[in-house]
Amino acid sequence: MSHIDRRSFMKRTGGGIAALSLAELALAAPPQTDTPIRIGMIGVGRQGRAILAELQKLDAATVTHICDSDERRLNAGVRRAPEAKPIADYRALLDNGAIDAVVIATPTHLHRAIAIDAIAAGKHAYCEAPLAGTIEDCKAITEAARGAQSVFQVGLQARSNPVYQLARTFFLSDSVRDLVCLRAQRHRKTTWRTPGGSPEREKRLNWRLDPEVSIGLAGEWGTHQFDVFHWYLDRYPVRVRGGGGVRLHRDGRTIHDTIACDLEFADGAILQYQATLANSYDGRYEVLYGSNAAIKLGWSHGWMFKEADAPTQGWEVYANRQQFHNDEGITLIADATQLASQGKLKEGVGLPQPSLYYGLEDFVRSIIEGSPPTCPADEGMRASVIGILTNQAILEGRTLEVDESLLKGH
Amino acid sequence: MGTRFEVVVGGDDEVHLRTAAEAALDEIALWDERLSLFRRDSLLSHINRSAANQPVRLDPDTFALFAACRQVSLASQGAFDPTVAPLMTRFGLHPDRSDSIAEPLIGMQHVILDDSARSIQFTSTEVALDLGGIAKGHALDLAAACLRESNVSTALVHGGTSSIITIGSPPGCDGWPIRIAHIDEPFTVELRDAAMSISSPTGRMLDTEGESHGHIIDPRHGAPSRSASLAATIGPSARDADAWSTALLVLGTLPTALPAELTAMVFSGDRRLIDGPLVSTLLRMSDTPPMEPEPCLTSTVAPS
Repeated sequence: MSHIDRRSFMKRTGGGIAALSLAELALAAPPQTDTPIRIGMIGVGRQGRAILAELQKLDAATVTHICDSDERRLNAGVRRAPEAKPIADYRALLDNGAIDAVVIATPTHLHRAIAIDAIAAGKHAYCEAPLAGTIEDCKAITEAARGAQSVFQVGLQARSNPVYQLARTFFLSDSVRDLVCLRAQRHRKTTWRTPGGSPEREKRLNWRLDPEVSIGLAGEWGTHQFDVFHWYLDRYPVRVRGGGGVRLHRDGRTIHDTIACDLEFADGAILQYQATLANSYDGRYEVLYGSNAAIKLGWSHGWMFKEADAPTQGWEVYANRQQFHNDEGITLIADATQLASQGKLKEGVGLPQPSLYYGLEDFVRSIIEGSPPTCPADEGMRASVIGILTNQAILEGRTLEVDESLLKGH
Repeated sequence: MGTRFEVVVGGDDEVHLRTAAEAALDEIALWDERLSLFRRDSLLSHINRSAANQPVRLDPDTFALFAACRQVSLASQGAFDPTVAPLMTRFGLHPDRSDSIAEPLIGMQHVILDDSARSIQFTSTEVALDLGGIAKGHALDLAAACLRESNVSTALVHGGTSSIITIGSPPGCDGWPIRIAHIDEPFTVELRDAAMSISSPTGRMLDTEGESHGHIIDPRHGAPSRSASLAATIGPSARDADAWSTALLVLGTLPTALPAELTAMVFSGDRRLIDGPLVSTLLRMSDTPPMEPEPCLTSTVAPS
């Protein structure tokens, strides 16, 4: 349990878990405006197209331009958003005064130049995570965002995810009690390859398998999950170590398809992380183990598993439960009050929208309402630095100390 | 879509083929996420929750899917109708859903598709959509497009063996041999650059109020369909084949409005041909099992 946050949180809420009524947990209404935010999409690969689909649900935003240096991807983007004007060069998009904001969904190693140029052009920017492919690039983007008048949000979606926000409220309110250890994984059986057509395009599209620019599974996937713990604990690992290898996809690649690593915090708590492209069992999750309960987060779902000797709280009588082999999990439901009043609590299991939607909704809300972004550049930088260092520790096969100066801006 | 999808691709470059097959399966998984009635965060659930209150904007592919729903519903005089969702829930075909609409409005006239705004809206909160009769075909069409984009020239993709799309043919064959069973005289169809859909109420049986019935509900009468035992459609689009095989099973006959590009057959309760061509250039009668193609690669996915 976060030694800093629990006390201050308890003070704010006036007590422990009993002070948490279901009424506090409603989903926020989507942002509203008479003049929708005009968005330029930069990068319309798979993630960019998923972003397009979610932006379409937001009345307060309209995608007016799409940009991709790859002609086939640009055409695929146009097919999905025919009203948007296609542009091959992102600089032309940034020069356009009729665009309020950009969403950057290019390969990670290309973020730096685009993000810095977007900030300089006065555009609000949502930049996919990890923030960049090197520590230096992460810091350069953070430096550019510092003091800028425009909104800069990093796509570490957990911070906008209502289930994760709700679970964090429980975590900070003492229901987990003393933190014991942490675990996370992402398992997916996939080659991580994209068909390219020509050797040149194949190499360009498969940047995640290119040792020159890739930050591997720890950087590309781990960053998103490590950030959950940074956000919950309000602290960062002090040392990282791990190993990995190519366990299945022996197609000439050198980027590991399977990794396991330990991220150690100053109090001795260890986050064990495992990621593989060779097996899909149990997918993706993060778990925080405490002396009173464990909280398991599965992106669209969250559960709390209480210890037998943990105090019983009144709200539990309303709770929905799910059985996991020998354990019973209390489902964490984000808009429980409204659903409970309608007798539909069970239908509230899982998010009403994909997690990505909430990150974009928060971005648009920040632009319209002037509220701080859920994940500003410096938070994105710190999570990305941890991901990059973990990848480095795995590649070098040694323990790396996380120098505090690395987590600060220039 | 609650079923297993499989891709078989042929060629020389296994790394490329696996990558291409994976992209096709990713496309299917994407549409499963978007069109599932059982995922709270799917686009379809979003539409079912929101479209009675305000129009929901759609991307061109999704709008084309709903436009196809409207077209087949109109041509089949309501035998195919995605507004059947509340009836499906009532007949226990949505076991994970506890919500119910007491007096549902059935019929695509309650669904407003605005072609210029590319949006969908319901006329009432008593409307809900289930795309079970067309989603697999839609996903297969787009998966096949992915494979073609990756220059794959030999492929078969199927969802639950009842919806199939093919590209080219396996080495040494004129087409992909597909056997249609569970009828009086089973036969083999050879598909080449074509799609096929089979609908049968016996694919999944349920007991309601002591009576056993299949999983196809006749939207016109609000009751399980008993007109036919099997309907098969073959045509260029898996989406259209899928929707029409459902419609034909409910109709029990081939309507004059059946699109000319579709070859279709309907079989009776005693498994005999009611309507449709016995053999066309696409069909080859056979008492023997079809040849098993030798795939260079098989990939699978089973979206839940």
